[in-house]
Amino acid sequence: MNNFRITDHPILKIPSSRSVISFTFNGVNYNALDGDTIASALLVNGIRAIREHEESGQPRGLYCNIGHCFECRVTVNEREGQRSCITKVSNGMDVQSSKKLPTPFKKEEAQYG
Amino acid sequence: MTKDVIVCRCEGTTLEEIATIAAEYQCSAREVKLRTRAGMGYCGGRTCRGFIDYIVSHHSNHQELTLHHRPPVRPIPFALFREVNDE
Amino acid sequence: MVDLLIIGAGPAGLAASIEAASRNLSVTIIDEFTTPGGRLLGQLHEEEKDVWWNGVEEAHTLHEKAQENGVELLLETSVYKIQQEDVYWSTHTSAGIYHSKALLIATGATEQSLPLPGWTLPGVMSIGAAQVMTNVRHVKPGEKGIIIGLNALSFAISRELRLCNIDLEGFFLPPDHFLTTDQAKPLSVLNNLMTLSHLAPMNWMRLGGKIANNNRWIQKQTLSFYPKRGINIWQTPVHVRKAVTSINGSTQVESVTVVDLRADGTMIEGSEENLEVDFVCISGGLAPLTELIGLTDLKLIAIESLGGYVPVHFEDMRTEVTDLYVAGNITGIESAKVARAQGVVAGISACIHSFNLRNDDALEIAMEKVRKERAEAKLQFHPEIEKGRTLLYSEKGEVQYG
Repeated sequence: MNNFRITDHPILKIPSSRSVISFTFNGVNYNALDGDTIASALLVNGIRAIREHEESGQPRGLYCNIGHCFECRVTVNEREGQRSCITKVSNGMDVQSSKKLPTPFKKEEAQYG
Repeated sequence: MTKDVIVCRCEGTTLEEIATIAAEYQCSAREVKLRTRAGMGYCGGRTCRGFIDYIVSHHSNHQELTLHHRPPVRPIPFALFREVNDE
Repeated sequence: MVDLLIIGAGPAGLAASIEAASRNLSVTIIDEFTTPGGRLLGQLHEEEKDVWWNGVEEAHTLHEKAQENGVELLLETSVYKIQQEDVYWSTHTSAGIYHSKALLIATGATEQSLPLPGWTLPGVMSIGAAQVMTNVRHVKPGEKGIIIGLNALSFAISRELRLCNIDLEGFFLPPDHFLTTDQAKPLSVLNNLMTLSHLAPMNWMRLGGKIANNNRWIQKQTLSFYPKRGINIWQTPVHVRKAVTSINGSTQVESVTVVDLRADGTMIEGSEENLEVDFVCISGGLAPLTELIGLTDLKLIAIESLGGYVPVHFEDMRTEVTDLYVAGNITGIESAKVARAQGVVAGISACIHSFNLRNDDALEIAMEKVRKERAEAKLQFHPEIEKGRTLLYSEKGEVQYG
């Protein structure tokens, strides 16, 4: 866990007593605080790469943080296409990132024989 | 540099590809979209739509906006899609 | 079936709901986000010395008032489709279909991006994303960042990031290519900064704006003598003659490559330098989010000073489509205070035009309040907003919309 969590602020009131919850991301256990979105919980756990691009396999992460761009989509409790920036973490939540998909009909990657 | 500038993040289409196709075929934004898949990925063009319109309007004779909005305006599961279209 | 359905729980949507509900309409608001407030939630400006505009608290106040008036609020709910039936609207959402007599679209704005090599790497985000991360989620977007794009939005948010003790390398231009044009050329960026000279805290600009005031020769001189280390705004160096040419990293952002520019914007060969950062904010400005308008018969019109395509509407927030209203940033990019005042207008207007409420002077007072907020706005996104509004509202019926 990094120190990205903001604990005090000159103007904003930062809630102090948030309960700790746990969730899994790609099968690994992580802690979050009540009120975190999946994206903010992953970020404090040092995870920026939230999914792989379906075709190129390039890592992708949070981009707009308000649910507009769909770049941070994950599978939550087996429901695909959930935006991690606007989905709150709940205790025991199972989060899976989408991985590169096979492209058998693409010429350069086609397997023959 | 334009070949390294991805415009459509979903489909990985670059500025160079879109500009080249628009100039070569002198076509509409819709045709550019069909030829390059720019704007046809998961998000439905929510981030790149304006860029595609802009590139096409400057590289092709087609000036009018052809990328209209159609429901659903967000990606949705098939179960919901049926509900949206059954009405 | 409710009387009024509002899409968007930002300052406009919430303010409209309070007005309509307090006049006995049944009102439901739908929003995708986890918390009501919309773009208000990120905002934190010092309006005068030690007087802060705290968007989180403003949103909270509006939300409480809406609740007191019996407004139903559906959060984490996405709208996919809207359709006008004979005498009502149906709104299709992730939580089912809702029917209403009147519909108010208050979906606000979306951020414009500035595409550049490496911008798909994790750690690259829109500047608004960083703002929401700090001010709403209370999590830093990273240890050390860089901002690409010099505009009112990035200046305001940089200060918010600094309040969280986030290290910022500076503001840099995007690389100059077909899609970045005006935002990449030193002279046009400087021109634009001069128009922001009314922004109170930026003393050097106020001064620069007063002197330069559209004098091209002085502007060119300013550019020639612009200090190489940048001029600080709220402790963050502003570089008008340095551009980021690529964002680098294997699985996430590790560095950016920056290059020095001549006054005319061309790159100085051999000046490339790599700066280590772990996050990058892209600030390309805001544009009205009009996708739902695209599903109706309402026409859109391009007005540059309002931020792009906006739905054609009247000053009382009515549209030419029966029982359809718009309010807030979807009608043009302005401050949250303007959006909130527009929401009040839309709420009253819906009561009058869709529910035959007597037209007392409340509507005119509310419209006057919008004009006042606009004139007094501390944060103006475009110098010619008033002209844009005049164009839209005064020539109604005469303008030819392509």
